Amino acid sequence: MLTHDALIRLCRARDRLRETEGRAPIAAIAREAGLSPYHFIRQFAAVFGATPHQYRIDARIERAKHLLARGNHSVTDVCFEVGFESLGSFSDLFARRVGVPPSQYRRRWQVPSRVGTLPPALIPGCLLLMCGEAASAIFKKH
Amino acid sequence: MRIKLNSIFVDNQDKALRFYTEVLGFKKSKEIPVGEFRWLTLVSPHGHADVELSLEPNANPASKTFQDELFRQGIPITAFEVDDIHAEHARLKKHGVAFTMEPTEAGEVTVAIFADTCGNLIQLYQPKP
Repeated sequence: MLTHDALIRLCRARDRLRETEGRAPIAAIAREAGLSPYHFIRQFAAVFGATPHQYRIDARIERAKHLLARGNHSVTDVCFEVGFESLGSFSDLFARRVGVPPSQYRRRWQVPSRVGTLPPALIPGCLLLMCGEAASAIFKKH
Repeated sequence: MRIKLNSIFVDNQDKALRFYTEVLGFKKSKEIPVGEFRWLTLVSPHGHADVELSLEPNANPASKTFQDELFRQGIPITAFEVDDIHAEHARLKKHGVAFTMEPTEAGEVTVAIFADTCGNLIQLYQPKP
């Protein structure tokens, strides 16, 4: 069973993996959590559904999506802002995870989306609320 | 007026759908694209067929903060009723689910808490007969 202290340590590790500045090695984050890398990776995956390495990449891609959707940053700016060191590897990874390259994702937010084809009764208000700025921008266009 | 829908935030709808169907055993009810997300709901094969659980994206930073804080404090975001909490606990453990509370008697119910792999703690409870 995970004690509350262990849970808190895993939450701290998760915060570290979300940081865009620097890139602490997984072994160092495991040490901070008081676990061997093997146990850290196992426990982290059981609790958060991804290995620490996958989680860090997912967090960077999520942040990149957010920045691209706002449309104020170039793909290159976003790439470095979220902590990638090469534009090529960022674009490849983004395309694999999201299904479209970052440039296309950025453009997607600048055109009316498929949302407008939904019957009004099926557009969930709560989803609007949760998707934040990007979604409200789209709904405004309709 | 009636209660037909409960919703929880998840950090990834695909991952959540997998965990909630393949591990917990719920069934997908609705999946409607809404922008880059989906209106995604589940029903329980052992519960009321018209009571749904919505898996909502936590894309808004406010929902992330809310989710993270509850999690950090060890507070479950919602609770599901089970007939045999010890059997469910054993079954979920076999799937590698991490519990923060083993089945524990608490007055009229026995409760247990686990992590749903999507940023939430979930409570199971079994009422006393």
